[in-house]
Amino acid sequence: MKVRREVLLLFLLLAEMALMQSLSPLFLTPDNLIEVVRQSAEIGLIALAMTLVIITAGIDLSVGSIVGLSIIMMGMLWEDAGLPLWVAVLLALLTGTLLGGFNGTLITLIGIPPLIVTLATMAGFRGIALGMSQARSIRNFPEGFLHLGQGYAVGIPVQVWILAVAALLFHLALTRTAWGRSVFGIGANEAAARLSGVPVNRVKLQVYMLSGFMSALAAVIYAAHVSVAKPDAGLGFELTAITAVVLGGTAVSGGEGGVLGTLIALLMVGFLRSGLTLARVPSEAQDMMVGLLLILVVAVDRWSRRTGGD
Amino acid sequence: MTSERISPTRFVLWRQYGREMSVGVFLLLLLGYFGTTPGFLQTDNLRDILINAAPLVIAACGMTMVIIAGMIDISAGSALAVCAVVAGLTARSGASLPLVILMPMLAGAVIGAVNGWLVAFVRIPAIIVTLGMMSVLRGGIIWWTRGEWIGNLPPSFSAVGRGEIAGIPLPVWIAFGIVLATALLLARTPLGRHIYAVGGNPVAATRMGIPVRRVLWLVFTLHGMLLGLSALVYASRFSVIQSNAGAGFELLAISAVVVGGVNIFGGQGTVWGSAIAGLLLQVISTGLIFRRVSEYWAPSVQGALVLLAVVADALRTRRARP
Amino acid sequence: MRKAFPIILSLAGVMLLLIACGKKQAGSGATGTGAKLVVAVMPKLKGIDYFNAVERGAREAAQELGDIDLTHDGPTEGKVDQQIPFIESWTLQKVDVIAVACNDPDAISPALKRARDKGVHVITYDADANAEKSGREFFVNQATFEDIGRALVDEMASQAGEDAKVAIVSSSPTAPNQNAWIAVMKRYMAEKYPKMQIVTIQYPEEDQGRAFSMTQDILKTYPDVKGVFGLSSVAFPGAADAVRQAGKSGKVAVVGLSTPKSMKEFVKDGTVKTVILWNPVDLGYLTVYVAKAVAEGKLKPGATEFEAGRLGKVKVEGDQVLLGPPMKFTAENIDQYDF
Repeated sequence: MKVRREVLLLFLLLAEMALMQSLSPLFLTPDNLIEVVRQSAEIGLIALAMTLVIITAGIDLSVGSIVGLSIIMMGMLWEDAGLPLWVAVLLALLTGTLLGGFNGTLITLIGIPPLIVTLATMAGFRGIALGMSQARSIRNFPEGFLHLGQGYAVGIPVQVWILAVAALLFHLALTRTAWGRSVFGIGANEAAARLSGVPVNRVKLQVYMLSGFMSALAAVIYAAHVSVAKPDAGLGFELTAITAVVLGGTAVSGGEGGVLGTLIALLMVGFLRSGLTLARVPSEAQDMMVGLLLILVVAVDRWSRRTGGD
Repeated sequence: MTSERISPTRFVLWRQYGREMSVGVFLLLLLGYFGTTPGFLQTDNLRDILINAAPLVIAACGMTMVIIAGMIDISAGSALAVCAVVAGLTARSGASLPLVILMPMLAGAVIGAVNGWLVAFVRIPAIIVTLGMMSVLRGGIIWWTRGEWIGNLPPSFSAVGRGEIAGIPLPVWIAFGIVLATALLLARTPLGRHIYAVGGNPVAATRMGIPVRRVLWLVFTLHGMLLGLSALVYASRFSVIQSNAGAGFELLAISAVVVGGVNIFGGQGTVWGSAIAGLLLQVISTGLIFRRVSEYWAPSVQGALVLLAVVADALRTRRARP
Repeated sequence: MRKAFPIILSLAGVMLLLIACGKKQAGSGATGTGAKLVVAVMPKLKGIDYFNAVERGAREAAQELGDIDLTHDGPTEGKVDQQIPFIESWTLQKVDVIAVACNDPDAISPALKRARDKGVHVITYDADANAEKSGREFFVNQATFEDIGRALVDEMASQAGEDAKVAIVSSSPTAPNQNAWIAVMKRYMAEKYPKMQIVTIQYPEEDQGRAFSMTQDILKTYPDVKGVFGLSSVAFPGAADAVRQAGKSGKVAVVGLSTPKSMKEFVKDGTVKTVILWNPVDLGYLTVYVAKAVAEGKLKPGATEFEAGRLGKVKVEGDQVLLGPPMKFTAENIDQYDF
């Protein structure tokens, strides 16, 4: 019987939650669960866009650096240039989109593979963030802004609402629009997609711009969450985002996957860490387990496909 | 093509080694630029650059094979840390020098073999295996060492890192030897041909009777072994081995390979390009300090240069296409 | 691949085993049971010599006091957003005291405030949080930034001369402690040794190889440099190694902050004359004593001194508990210390 990836994941998530609860009765409290989801929100936003990128058989390693550069842009425009904060936020979102566009242009127009482009821009964007900010940090954001990252609305943290809405939009775009279908098509077989009239270059450019935009959005929320804008923000986000996407069933070879899987995977990693911390398992053992979890789940998925569908 | 009738050999040479030549030219240009600052082109500086580049060059050889085979390894930095700690612990336990050299290479080979098995036989994509392995190794090394750094190393340990033969530092000899060996393996042995075939077109390779899975597994294992050697060369220059060594190292190695001209889709490229590019990265790092570039802007210059190298090459190959 | 299934099962088994082992190692158990005080201590990151020493001191104090249930955990990278989940988890578990070395003073404060609101005591050590925003009760400081910066500069002046050209090898350009020390050093130099000049500041992050090659490059780029500051337990050995291998031991002074253990051989062969630090084991020890005192209401604002076990009486200035002036480790006394 071919097991649908999302069903397998949901099962694993529930099994994991049961296991965590057995290790510590504090796990299934609403307080804990809500906090875990809140902590995953910024990476979640990035992972949503990363899902699309990977569906097109691409990858974006520069998302963490886009976070760093956007956050500094926002901070410096607000503090140095004296712009009102909401204007700085909008400009930061624009910056992220443009940076993503830079990636996309190199990938589509010059034809450099995404891994290489984003590897180079990962270093380049981070370097610019450091140079522009001269390593200073920007602090003392107004209370209203901090509400975005630290506040609640109807008992649910604000950024979780934002994540939920974004996830819904992404899911609809991916599954119910022609644009979404073209994203899948490009990943499945780019040449065939091109031949059937899909504006491949334009769609890919849009996907990378979206990735940049979401990274900048994550940056803004991150700044509100930790109340600081520093050029080293976002370090390592790309790996966690990619882990969530891949664990969630989106194939690296492109053409399949979805936002639902990514979200479940995100929760799996978050709950795993939370449960283990409550059980006093040291963080290095947690790191090992996240790595093993990734390999295990993908391996099981491969096995279920082999003995099933084919 | 008409130009082939005019000067076939030169054209073919450019076509085949164009990338390596452009990287080489780039390197020379940079050397020239940095060379205008006093002291840069002195022997002791060039010597230091070569020594500091050696671990990266050795690791880049293994990574070259991995990428030519169409795979990737982002756990290389964590593997480096594990092998460096193994080297240090072996040395501290009083073992003989050959054992001190062997153990980290063995450790690396084991890590590579596990990665290779997961990729080749369990059929999990390399990026996923190595992404997971990266966390496992990083966490594992801290768990194992409890975060302690390895100090009290016997003086014989630094024999590899600081020794010399005929006036040339040992790390340089080793690096050169590995580059040569890898180049020969790729160009002259059946395994080498198989690696190119598997990377270029795995389906066709299977049909030709090439044992694709075994080749992939071997590639990862050899790469792991070279990482172990690289770790030894790296660690034996210092008096204490940190358990958090090698952070970001995999990206440096991949950058070296990619800037050096190996096609990320597999099936093409040589190890000479990776070696020159590895050297290039160290030259840039040192040169920026010599040039007194603001320490806040230096990283962006490095990133920009890598991007430049990659874009220039992409444009070059586009124009060469008929 | 059918062969893969049993392997997958064993992978799963390994994971469960790891969980079981990890739990045993950390010491399982509910929180607040019995008479034990639950104290959670978090370093900036795990895997650094310095914090390993702090942990030893903390465990020593817990042992001595006898009624402390000590948890020591933290991220494996020095990132503040990885510290926050631990604070949240401990708040949920309602531990008695959280003691944290903060990677960023402002970022961690909201989480600490939430802990305070839920009745958990909060103190900081080594690197402080924003006192107002976090509501943390005391900061166990090893030595003030002023003391450390001055000690470093004075030491350099006595070794390399008051008019020396010096270089600084730090850690990350955004590291708060290092930047605070550098600020003090610049100011103090301008006041007391106006002829001393900083030719460059380099940031090797926490990478020993980079600290090494950067120092090498500095020695070549600025051949008249007389001294190098190594401002972290990563940068200092890397810089000393570079100076020694360039054959400049004794000619270029190397002054910095690190654990005596990692610097021992450099002090023995004269590359480094003095290692400045404070005793991190004592810092951990003091932190746990302060934690207990704060939880039991024995240490309150307004105190001017505090008695901490084998350390005797230490000074309390406002909301800072001071370990004492920086310590200097030299060839004479370095063997006495094993951290």
